[in-house]
Amino acid sequence: MVSITFIQPDGAAQTVQATVGDSVMQTALNNNIEGIFAECGGAMMCATCHCYIDDEWAEKTGDKSDGEDDMLDCAETEVTDASRLTCQIKVTDALDGMVVRLPSELA
Amino acid sequence: MTGGNKVMLDIPVNETVTLADLTHDPYPIYKQMRAQTPVVRVAQTNRIFVTTAEHTKWIKENPEIFSSDDPMTPMKPAFQAHTLMRKDGAEHRAERMAMQPSFSPKVIRSDWAELYEKIAKEYVSLLPRGETVDLFSELCGPVAARILAHMLGLEDATDEEMQRWSQRLIDGAGNFGRDPKLFEASDAANAEMNALFEKIIPRHQSEPNNSAFSVMLRAKNPIPLSQMYANIKIAIGGGINEPRDALATIVYGLLTNPDQLEEVKRQEAWMDAFEEGIRWVAPIQVSGRRTTQEIQIGDVVVPKAETVMTIQASANRDEAIFDDGESFNVFREKHPHQSFGSGPHHCAGAQIARRTLGHIMLPLLFDRFPNMQLPNPEDVVWSGFGFRGPLNLPIYLD
Ligand code: FES
Repeated sequence: MVSITFIQPDGAAQTVQATVGDSVMQTALNNNIEGIFAECGGAMMCATCHCYIDDEWAEKTGDKSDGEDDMLDCAETEVTDASRLTCQIKVTDALDGMVVRLPSELA
Repeated sequence: MTGGNKVMLDIPVNETVTLADLTHDPYPIYKQMRAQTPVVRVAQTNRIFVTTAEHTKWIKENPEIFSSDDPMTPMKPAFQAHTLMRKDGAEHRAERMAMQPSFSPKVIRSDWAELYEKIAKEYVSLLPRGETVDLFSELCGPVAARILAHMLGLEDATDEEMQRWSQRLIDGAGNFGRDPKLFEASDAANAEMNALFEKIIPRHQSEPNNSAFSVMLRAKNPIPLSQMYANIKIAIGGGINEPRDALATIVYGLLTNPDQLEEVKRQEAWMDAFEEGIRWVAPIQVSGRRTTQEIQIGDVVVPKAETVMTIQASANRDEAIFDDGESFNVFREKHPHQSFGSGPHHCAGAQIARRTLGHIMLPLLFDRFPNMQLPNPEDVVWSGFGFRGPLNLPIYLD
């Protein structure tokens, strides 16, 4: 098992156990993490699984998928250099201890 | 038990249900199917109906097994094109993403929200007071048509044209009986639309904006013009009736549940009202997929090259997820519904629909007519199997 910590915009943190091979989005859904809706179920078509991955982990998550940036452009929440779609990040042993920050809703 | 397994794995057949029954009121039929035969061949349509939330979601999220490319649908003749709705994989993505920027939350905020608010205000202010008005035909349809015309870059088209084209495309796409009259009507609509598109291309080239047509035309790697036309037609087919029916359904739900309406106003829970309305009666009730291989769904094995109908209308009332899903209840425990689908074909207009209806139209309408009434709910006629909503909404505005 790999542990991943999700941090809400208000700072509330939740550490969960993830299964290698699942996506980070799936991990979030399994643990009812607020702010991950994943409406398209991981097809990279909705950007409702958007979150931020800090630099120290970005390398370990692997490169963005083809087309991920275009879809991120359609995210409801603010997109930064740290933005990723969690459905495109596969859980690996290297991600043990990773921190995932959730975006705050724009008005 | 000899052969027990085999018996269990045969697809049960429902010989009695007709398309007319489903068009009239599918919900009791789906309820029974969920309980007794969640995967069933409906003999009169020769299609397999899948009615539980777990299965419908899974099917839509597994496009390698359940393809959207179904040669049996009348969509191709209706749209005179092989459209993105019926494509899979990279081809589908390329065509969809060509248009998507114009529906992105960023552009909704910068371009469409303000415009929609202006249009909504204008149409609502045209409604009379002190009489009964069919809100369905006087407001829900025209306002949906107007905003869509702008978003697509077709300002030149009238509300009436937009609605007529939309209806003819939909009728053609649902023409499973291959009635030549319906295809004649959709052909005529296609000719009108093509003529307009051709006429306005120069304007979009010289004065580009964030409309779908403009965005597609000035893309770095543009998709073929024929596919731009097809995309716009898909948006016309899918972008008027759905918000129209959603708005009518939500207003009906609120006016027939005055306690909920009061609470919605108090909490300004318009977004919840929006989500509950489209859960309760999904504007698009059914989506077809074609099996690319033999596959087990629940207890039955479905052969390759079969059309399965994923019934999101039924999934949205599935007892496994929703308590008393048959009733409209804005304040029910929150669970995701499937009205926008899932998987690669997840509705491209979901965010727009939420913004325009939930954020803008509903509060505006109930603010202008806080005491509007639906005196005779029994006069409202509901209809539709593929697409569903009220056909009229006689409301007393005071
Ligand atoms: S779940 Fe839809 S883009 Fe990730």
